[in-house]
Formats: sequence, C-alpha cells, structure tokens
Amino acid sequence: MSNTLLDVQNLTMKFGGLIAIDDLTFSAKKDHITSIIGPNGAGKTTVFNCLTGFYKATAGSMYLNKENNKMDLKKFSDFKVAQKAGVARTFQNIRLFPQMSVLENMMVAQHNKLMVASGFSILGLINSKSYLQKEKEAMEISKYWLDIIGLTNRADDNAGDLPYGDQRKLEIVRAMCIEPHLLCLDEPAAGLNAKESADLNKLLKFIKNDKKTGILLIEHDMSVVMGISDHVVVLNYGKKIFEGTAKETKNSPEVIEAYLGTED
Amino acid sequence: MGKDLIQKSLKDSLFTGIIALALFGPIVGLRTVAKNEVLVVEPKWFVVLLIVAFCAVGRFFINIYTYKKEKRRGESSSLGKAISNFLDEKGAQIAIAAIAFSIIFPFMPFADRYWMDIAIMMMTYIMLGWGLNIVIGLAGLLDLGYVAFYAVGAYSYALFAIHFGWSFWICLPIAGLFAGMFGILLGFPVLRLRGDYLAIVTLAFGEMIRILLLNWYELTKGPDGLTGIPRPSFFGLPFKRYPDEGVETFHTFFGLEYDPMQRIIFLYYLILILALITNAFTIKIRRLPVGRAWEALREDEIACKSLGVNPRNTKLTAFAVGAMFGGFAGSFFATRQAFISPESFTFIESAIIVAIVVLGGMGSQTGVVLSTIFLIGLIEVFRDFESYRMVAFGGAMVLIMVFRPRGILAKRKPTITMGKHG
Repeated sequence: MSNTLLDVQNLTMKFGGLIAIDDLTFSAKKDHITSIIGPNGAGKTTVFNCLTGFYKATAGSMYLNKENNKMDLKKFSDFKVAQKAGVARTFQNIRLFPQMSVLENMMVAQHNKLMVASGFSILGLINSKSYLQKEKEAMEISKYWLDIIGLTNRADDNAGDLPYGDQRKLEIVRAMCIEPHLLCLDEPAAGLNAKESADLNKLLKFIKNDKKTGILLIEHDMSVVMGISDHVVVLNYGKKIFEGTAKETKNSPEVIEAYLGTED
Repeated sequence: MGKDLIQKSLKDSLFTGIIALALFGPIVGLRTVAKNEVLVVEPKWFVVLLIVAFCAVGRFFINIYTYKKEKRRGESSSLGKAISNFLDEKGAQIAIAAIAFSIIFPFMPFADRYWMDIAIMMMTYIMLGWGLNIVIGLAGLLDLGYVAFYAVGAYSYALFAIHFGWSFWICLPIAGLFAGMFGILLGFPVLRLRGDYLAIVTLAFGEMIRILLLNWYELTKGPDGLTGIPRPSFFGLPFKRYPDEGVETFHTFFGLEYDPMQRIIFLYYLILILALITNAFTIKIRRLPVGRAWEALREDEIACKSLGVNPRNTKLTAFAVGAMFGGFAGSFFATRQAFISPESFTFIESAIIVAIVVLGGMGSQTGVVLSTIFLIGLIEVFRDFESYRMVAFGGAMVLIMVFRPRGILAKRKPTITMGKHG
C-alpha cells in the first residue's frame, strides 16, 4: 500500500446531535483523481473541512503519506495543514483575493517560502540579493502556472475582475503554488460551461500526471467526474454507500437510488 | 423620470427642511440673553430660516445629482475620478514636489510660528495616519483605539527621559518598542474577532489605557500629567537662550542669534523625517511577503489559511508595526509639548486618525496626506468659530463620502507586476 496517499479511517464528525460524517473509511492513491460525490448535504464538504483542518474531527484518523513519511493530519490545525502537511484546497464559492492582482494572488500562495527568504522581512527591507532572487523565482513559478491556464497577459489585473471560469482556474493553480501533495477541489466545475469544463479536465489531468499530485475532488458535474476520476467514493447522509471506479459507480443500484430515489 | 424626479426631490427637500427646522430651531433659534439681570429668550428666526433654506436647497440638489447617476452608483464622481487619475499618473512627481515643498516650508516668508505649529500638528497626524494605515488600510483590522499606542509612546518616552535622563534618540526606539509590545498585547485577545466586534474591543482598549494613565498616580501623576519632559537637542546641542554653565547651545555653536523659532524648525524637520521614515517603511513592507499577507488577510482570511498563511502572526505583526509608529509619533508629541496628560489621548483623537485613513482611501499613502490637509486644515480654519469646528469636520466627512464613497484615493496599485507581456 505504498501507493496510498491519503488514508482515512472511521472518520466521524458530529455537530451536536447531527452526524455529518458517519464512520467514513476511504483512501486516495498518489497518481489518482479520487472523487467524492453524493447528493446535497451528504457531508462532502465536511470531509474536506476535516481534512484541511477547518473542523476538528470527532473521531477517526486521517493519515497522509508524504514521501513515505506518514503524517497524522489530525495533529495540524487550520493553516498548518497547508503549511506543514502540504494539503491544498479550493472552495465551493471561489475564495480569491479579489482586490489584489492575479500575480499577487499567486505570490501570497508562496508566502511561507518567501517569508523565510525575506528573513522574516528583515532581509527584504534591506533589499538583500538572496531575497530578490527568491522573489524572482516565485514570479517564474507564478508565470509558469499562469501560462498553463492562459492568464499571463492578465497577471496585473485584479483577480476579482476576471471572468468566472478564469477565477476557478486561478484558484486551482494558486493552490498548486504551495506545492501540495494532495489537492482538494470543492466543486471546481460548478458554473462552468462545456468548454471551460473540458479545459478544467485537461488541467486536472495535467496536475495528476505531470505534477504527480493526488487530487481529491468533490463534484456534481457527472461529465467531469466520469471523465477523469480514477476512483469514486459516494456519500449519502454522511455514510459511504459505494466505492469503485467511475464505470462501476455509474451502474451501481445504490448510487442510482441515492440520487434518483426508489419506486415505492 | 424627469418630472417625477423633481417632484420626488422637492418632497424630500421639504422633509429635510422640516427636520432642519426641528433641529436648528431650538439649537440656533433660541438664545438666552441676560437683560437687566434677567435671562430673556431672544429668538433669531432669520438665521434659522437661512440654515433651513440651505439644508432644503442643498438636499434638493444632492438628490438631483445622485439620482442622475443612479445607473453607476458606487462609482465616484467624474471630478473626483479626474483628480484621482491625475494623481495616479503624476504620482511620483507630485510626491517629490510635496516633499520638496515640505523641506523648504520653514523658510517660506509666511511660515511664522502659527503656520509652523499647524504644519507640525498636521505632520504628526499624517504620521499617525500612515501608521494606522498599516492596521486598517492594509491588514483590514478596524482599530478604534489607536490613540492608546500614541499614549504609550508618549508616556514611555516621557518616563524614560525624565527618570533616566536618556536622550531623544535613545528613548525614541524604546518608546516605539513599548508601543509595539502593547500592540501585540492588544492583538492577542482580538485575534478571532472581526469587523464590529474588533472595533468595539479596540475602542475599549484605547479607553483602558487612558483610564490606566489617569489612575496610576505613582507612575503617571494621573490627571496632573507629566511635566518637565526634556526638550530634544540638536545632536547634543540644546536650544536654549541661557544654557547651563559650560554647555554649548545650538545658536552659539553655529554662531547664530538666538531665536525660539530654531527649536520649532528643528521639531518640524524631526517630525518630517519620522513621517517620511514611516512612509518609506510602509511602501517597502507592502511589497514584501508580510505586506502582501496583510492585504490577503483583509481580502479573505479563510483563503489565507488554506494557503498556509499563519493568520495569527500576520495580524500580530500588523498590530505591532502599526503600534510602533504610533509610539514614535507619541514620543515626538511628548518632546514637543514637554507636558503630557491623559487629556491628550481621548477617543476623539482615535476617531480623527481613523477618519483620516478611511476618508483618504484605505491603504492609500497619498490619500492620508490629502485627507489630513483637508480635515485638520478645516478644523484650523474654523478655529474662531469654536463650537462649530466639529460641525465643519462632520460636514467635510459627509462631503467626501458623497463625492468619493471609497475615499479620496481609492485606487490600489499592485505590489508586484509582471509587466506588459511577462
């Protein structure tokens, strides 16, 4: 099981009496896109919030295999999950820094690296060469990603002024700037048209294949899920009701039941 | 729309007139005068009529003006835009011209004691505005108790200078450090608070410091204030007409006639340098990772967390750095006045500084200068009208908010650019 990137065991999250996630066990592989699907309110985003430290899970364990070094995600609180464990995420409702330029958004994502390079601002204040060099490198990385999503010529515009589809893509590449091991995407295709959706698929495949970054995906758009998922986990009322390949999922009676209901 | 608009506006202005009558009738219209040792009410209806007419007519025109632009509400007026664009384009030249003007200012023919005092006061507010701009403008943390750090700076400067006899240049960094520490002290409990809640707690913090200064008599002499704070010297040369035995003074060293203006001019340059340092520091740190993180935090704290930015440290540095500059300004205030008491650090000071930052356009360094000149200048112009000063102040704020709803200079420049084609 050295190929396992994320190993979630018996994850449970309760809000008072409400059980949002009930004893969920699943794993995600390093070179896979793992999708979590399910009807609204099934607890998909809650899983993300537990993984990325925004919620503290009530019970269960979450381990990340980082270069064969097993890290317990429960040990990290909010920002440390991104900083120390290298788990990046995007949000269902886009969370860019709208009044800051596209390039600045990318630079903020490389904050921790640059903070060290700037000697916690002291070297930066005196214009130290080593910091300027690091800043240039960070700009190169930003440019590399912006080239991929075709936004380089808008790098100096405010992120909030971009079209919706571009904002989605920007949020994903911004998350990639922290060089994550696991990228968690919360409904990246929501509100995209067919062409933008196809572009997104391409981008996600590129991240998976070329960047060797595992992807965990929450999605409603079945064309995206079926097109790129290597593995699908289906949730309903916080419980896992099915797990398998995209094809198996499509034909599973439990899944059809959860989505469409049964005949009485 | 046209006729309907005028009808509506007329109705509205009539309503405004009634409110104005209700307000100003008793406030302005009725005046008690002592006549033959009896208080007699003397009505001044003509003045009231003038004010009411002014309010009603003004309301009418504002209505027409703003309704006309309804389709682009939220945008600022074309005049304001033109000014802002002009300032954007010629920003560098204007900044240089302004700095040059402030350097030669003391030698202008009209720069007498009165003007110098106003200039020093404005410069102090500009410095405070720049310091608070880090907290409010960049990090987006609404701090209504900024005057607390000004007070901490002033008192720590005064206490160190009085008790240890250390010179200005030693006490200044210590005072800044103390203020910065208080910034962190305030920062910790308010880390989780945002918006209104943060504003309330910082406001309380400002009052706490003032009340502490008022009641800790052994240390601060309470309401009596601290007197005899050493005046600054020009690298060890004091500004005194009759110096102590064996001490060379500024005017004898340079072979000048003694003139009390020498000290004022020195103070002016001192605050000018301190303010410019604050400005240069802010401009520079805005382009460093920590500065970008401040702005990112203002934009979206959750997104910051998801990118591994530590919100606690980022907020604390913003509070500490902002407070530090408040402390520097405080030490200057102490050494200028030679006397400080808690009276000088009331909430109204915080409010004025916040107004300067917000009206200038959050995060805009030039905006702080413009709004300081506008607001403090206005207060000064209305000095003779005493109780109407604050009315003028409020009126100025309303005007800015009507014409420039996002502050005088609302446009933000990116901290790093890719250039035309990368």
